[in-house]
Amino acid sequence: MSVAELKERHLAATQTVSALRDQLKQKRLLLLDTDVAGYSRSQGRTPVSFGPTDLVCCRTLQGHNGKVYSLDWTPEKNRIVSASQDGRLIVWNALTSQKTHAIKLPCAWVMTCAFSPTGQSVACGGLDSVCSIFNLNSPTDRDGNLPVSKMLSGHKGYVSSCQYVPDEDAHLITSSGDQTCGLWDITTGLRTSVFGGEFQSGHTADVLSVSINGSNSRMFVSGSCDSTARLWDTRVASRAVRTFHGHEGDVNAVKFFPDGNRFGTGSDDGTCRLFDIRTGHQLQVYYQQHGDNEVPPVTSIAFSISGRLLFAGYSNGDCYVWDTLLGQVVLNLGTLQNSHEGRISCLGLSADGSALCTGSWDSNLKIWAFGGHRKVI
Amino acid sequence: MSPEVGNIVVEERLEFAFAMEYHGPPITSELPRAVPINVDRIPVAAVVSQMPLPDKLSLPVVQPILANNLTKKFSKELKFLGSESNFLPINVSPTSVIAFESPNGAVIRDESLSKELASGSEITVSPSSVYAFEERRPGNDGCDLSGELSSSLDTHYPCGQYESGELSGMVDRSNGLGSSSISHDHSRELLNGVGSSGPLGFSGSFEKSRELSESSRKMMISRDYKGSLDYNNDLNKPDWASNESVISVDYPSSRVSSLKVADGCNEPGCDVKRAPVVTFCDIESEDEDSNDRFSRAGPEVVRAKKEPAVRVRKGACYRCLKGNRFTEKEVCTVCDAKFCSNCVLRAMGSMPEGRKCLSCIGFQIDESKRGNLGKCSRMLKRLLNDLEIRQIMKAEKLCEVNQLPPEYVCVNGRPLCYEELILLQSCPAPPKKLKPGNYWYDKVSGLWGKEGQKPSQIISPHLNVGGPIKPDASNGNTQLAGVQCAGNPHFWVNEDGSYQEEGQKNTKGYIWGKAGTKLVCAVLSLPVPSKSSCASGDQFSNIVSHTAPDYLEQRALQKFLLIGYSGSGTSTIFKQAKILYKDVPFSEDERENIKLLIQSNVYRYLGILLEGRERFEEENLNDLRVNQPSSEDELIGRTDGGEEQTIYSICRRLKAFSDWLLKVMVSGNLEAVFPASIREYAPLIEEMWSSSAIQGAYKRRSELEMLPSVAGYFLERMVDILRFDYEPTDVDILYAEGVTSSNGVACVDFLFPEPAYEENFNSSDQHDSLLRFQLIRVQSRGFGENCKWLEMFEDVRIVIFAVALSDYDQFAVDEKRSLVNKMMLSRKFFESIVSHPTFDQMDFLLLLNKYDLFEEKIERISLTKCEWFDDFHPVTSRNRANSSNSSVNHAPSLGQLGFHYIAVKFKRLFSSLTDRKLYVSLVNGLEPNSVDQSLMFAREIVKWDDERPNFSASEYSVYSTEASSFSH
Repeated sequence: MSVAELKERHLAATQTVSALRDQLKQKRLLLLDTDVAGYSRSQGRTPVSFGPTDLVCCRTLQGHNGKVYSLDWTPEKNRIVSASQDGRLIVWNALTSQKTHAIKLPCAWVMTCAFSPTGQSVACGGLDSVCSIFNLNSPTDRDGNLPVSKMLSGHKGYVSSCQYVPDEDAHLITSSGDQTCGLWDITTGLRTSVFGGEFQSGHTADVLSVSINGSNSRMFVSGSCDSTARLWDTRVASRAVRTFHGHEGDVNAVKFFPDGNRFGTGSDDGTCRLFDIRTGHQLQVYYQQHGDNEVPPVTSIAFSISGRLLFAGYSNGDCYVWDTLLGQVVLNLGTLQNSHEGRISCLGLSADGSALCTGSWDSNLKIWAFGGHRKVI
Repeated sequence: MSPEVGNIVVEERLEFAFAMEYHGPPITSELPRAVPINVDRIPVAAVVSQMPLPDKLSLPVVQPILANNLTKKFSKELKFLGSESNFLPINVSPTSVIAFESPNGAVIRDESLSKELASGSEITVSPSSVYAFEERRPGNDGCDLSGELSSSLDTHYPCGQYESGELSGMVDRSNGLGSSSISHDHSRELLNGVGSSGPLGFSGSFEKSRELSESSRKMMISRDYKGSLDYNNDLNKPDWASNESVISVDYPSSRVSSLKVADGCNEPGCDVKRAPVVTFCDIESEDEDSNDRFSRAGPEVVRAKKEPAVRVRKGACYRCLKGNRFTEKEVCTVCDAKFCSNCVLRAMGSMPEGRKCLSCIGFQIDESKRGNLGKCSRMLKRLLNDLEIRQIMKAEKLCEVNQLPPEYVCVNGRPLCYEELILLQSCPAPPKKLKPGNYWYDKVSGLWGKEGQKPSQIISPHLNVGGPIKPDASNGNTQLAGVQCAGNPHFWVNEDGSYQEEGQKNTKGYIWGKAGTKLVCAVLSLPVPSKSSCASGDQFSNIVSHTAPDYLEQRALQKFLLIGYSGSGTSTIFKQAKILYKDVPFSEDERENIKLLIQSNVYRYLGILLEGRERFEEENLNDLRVNQPSSEDELIGRTDGGEEQTIYSICRRLKAFSDWLLKVMVSGNLEAVFPASIREYAPLIEEMWSSSAIQGAYKRRSELEMLPSVAGYFLERMVDILRFDYEPTDVDILYAEGVTSSNGVACVDFLFPEPAYEENFNSSDQHDSLLRFQLIRVQSRGFGENCKWLEMFEDVRIVIFAVALSDYDQFAVDEKRSLVNKMMLSRKFFESIVSHPTFDQMDFLLLLNKYDLFEEKIERISLTKCEWFDDFHPVTSRNRANSSNSSVNHAPSLGQLGFHYIAVKFKRLFSSLTDRKLYVSLVNGLEPNSVDQSLMFAREIVKWDDERPNFSASEYSVYSTEASSFSH
């Protein structure tokens, strides 16, 4: 078989695939008679209303010198780890707003950080293509720096996101600029599986974000620059369980819905979307028309503990609170008092859902809590 | 000579002020007292101009203010204010003391005094806030009085303030200094004129009108001169205008006699609780010469001082307004606000700079609290856990704003700049407990001490800080083993203790060698050199490599981003920079890794070569068979193993090795196997390399596409490299593939070495050499097309984009799996980087790399092989043969023409994308000089960028590489 012939067949196959994809899209549109918002409205639901003091900034965590890129809460205690471009990880006590650890990183260009489920260690990754694990209990060296306890190396591109597998300290899932995701065994420091890659059916561009299903930790979802999100089963590395099309730009953030059957995405096209992992349908698009033509990309998303609220940070410094049922913006944290001065780059809800933490390029983190009668939503 | 400008912060604080304890000689006459002031006729001073004072001064004279008039008006005002103050709740403002340390250590005393006063809580509502100056002049200082004056000026500002609010005023220190010095200068004239033996007192009153209450403040300086009787003249003094730049320091000699409002109190020991009264003690030495010179301003600099936003009852918490003075409280290190344990965490938040209330973050701390930095209170310990305390205290001690402001430290009469302070603090033997003040430092011997005092310590010599040492720095009374240290002009003391006569080379003796010296030092409490400072002198020459404190790291770091398409040689340039600028470019571990890497590379090259050999052998055999089909039997017969012989054949033993190596390579675990095999196969390798078959294959290496061009370098040294005890040289490392690419990003901090020649070594360069640079090399491979990560590099100063010139005829596979010219890929990458929003308005330097390969290649392969360069038609092709032989006629070679052509191509592309200018430089990554030059060029570009407002755009064109011959 000659090269020309092969090329021809490849072309034909590509066309078939895109034709089938179009068919699928059409079929989905036919089946999808309504979206969440339409249905809720028909059921007479009203959007959540926020009073002026219902969500207030109650702490400002100052201490970073650079843009904050990522944050993560511990599951049990009220601690936060944040990663910044000043080359430091800082572990905060969210209640007192004091720092418990300031970890100087060997590579300053950090993009992500994560707290382990037990709160004993933190992980971070960045442009050095390595995911570094720091044990918070290990003694500091002479200069007062915490030594790296494990280096997970193997990615061929930057580590864009990492998350511990819930309820076990020994496993971690990373996403990388080399178009793959990886499942790591931290005790051995080896990569158990690679999801995607050159010869497998995976993402075709940088993977930017991962989120592990809270109710079934075998499933995780990844978002990529190829404007798709993919659902993976950790036992089947060879191919994605499902690919979710819909976005028209890089998928910057993915986050599982608290019930584990849906997940949300945030993208460069300025929209957030809600997908159902069982049907593969796109349930809802969250998009607010801005005044002018510019469409600020979504940088980060988080769900409230009930799933009723979706917090989405935008590159222009806005942080919308969406009512997921009605698809309406109910609050903009960017316009509240004490809000950030720069782009909101990361968001996270505490495990009990009582507080939201936002990290920004203005080098601060802020903790927002529900005030008044409402404690959790 | 001229009174210079220094500045003072004048604080306005409410309610009370207090006086200093009087240390002067007993006062027989009445003490001066604040004079009532006519608000409408506020005396205002202007800044002293820098002109030198002529011997005969004719200063303008302000008409005296009639005292009667004044008192009357003022008393009225006093009443008003007094009545007003009755309505006010008694608020206590915290004492603020700006203490400029004097050589006499007066500060400590005064500070404690003022604290005592504050805690004494004697609240006196004074109508005017008063300033206390204490000037103290030590005994026998010689010529340069001015330095002493300014340095020994202790300034205390207990201030009062009527209304809560932002009533902090600033007084130019220069006014105070200037006028005081001038008045001093003139005291003699005046004295002569007046005819008495030294009554000199002047009080300047300074007034700021307020919107709410017209509080007047009064500054009064009284001087005791020659210990004689005090003549306290309260004068309404030169106009103190803090805004005017032109001086009108008037010393109204006429007024000295005409105005006499001596209604001060006459208590001999100055009553500390008498708030409105201020004593200015200026004790001047008896044997003072008449050459009063006021040439320099002190190191004092304006620092806007913060005050608590709220004022509360004394003892109460500033946030909840509860508690009394016995409740435990934490104090803000900036504004003195105190918070109780319930409020401190809320008021101070995450304490990114230690104990400061939220509104004070980013402000300079109160100098008087410097000693408390990093010392945690019990209350905090109770509130927070150990880890948190440790972090806060670390932040408090190390964060940048809490550091000693460099202007406060004056070495050899010159305030330090930031870099000098760094140098001082990061030297191997830094001065202990550096506090604001005036110091002398002997560069040669490393002796260090407070001005006018004995040396207190021996620090690292040869530090480039401060001005030249003054002859009277230590008062000349430091004698070591009969050799005078600083001050005696006839001997020089070196850092190792040897001393020699001035102008002589021969060392006269060695101070520390004498057994008794150290003992004597101990007796005289003089410092002896520490071990580290005794170490050899050349360790100080590269202070460069010495690590600066943590908080200094972020500052003054200029980042260069080095980027390029894969294969453009960024890695080589990076390695070269590392070798150029680092003392230890690669650590032991790194070298070990590099060694393994090079060795495995060599095995890989060898494998490729062996593979090639097999191919060549086969080809040859085929040829043989074709040429001599009949003699096949003979051949078999001759080689008893049934093998045919060609020049590419190898013996059985080598064949086995070759098969093994190829098998290992195919299986892909070469790295895992080879370290163990090195010893085993070393002799085989030698045999193999010397075999004619391998040499033959090596000669045809150009036919092996897999073999990279650098392979030849390593293969020729193969026998050495594959030895067990092989140590990679710098050149080996430069050539080696994959040294830096294991990580996506690599960075190296460096300083440019100081220029060897002194001609262009001016003071500005000196500071530049302290600028640190960071070269960040990012590998484009694995970093995707959409460059999400570029946002992280928005703080770089310049992007250095490398392009391999020799790429123009090479092809690579792009992401769409199609074969594309590498130059086009480079160009595409260049476009995406240049047009990235993060690099809007960023300077770009294009490095055209691998010129050596290019020069050689362009003779063989036309540049038009790349479709972008299809209009390259060099006009000089006819003369080329001549020009290559004789460079006399300066006809450019084809390589140069090609380089200029490509440079112009990129420039056009760049300006079409950005409308800006692209800087282009030619570089050869393997040559240290060319890398050094191009990085220097990058530094220059950054420097121009800083100075851009000062230059016209035309100056840039000088440096751009234009090739007009290709314009069309």
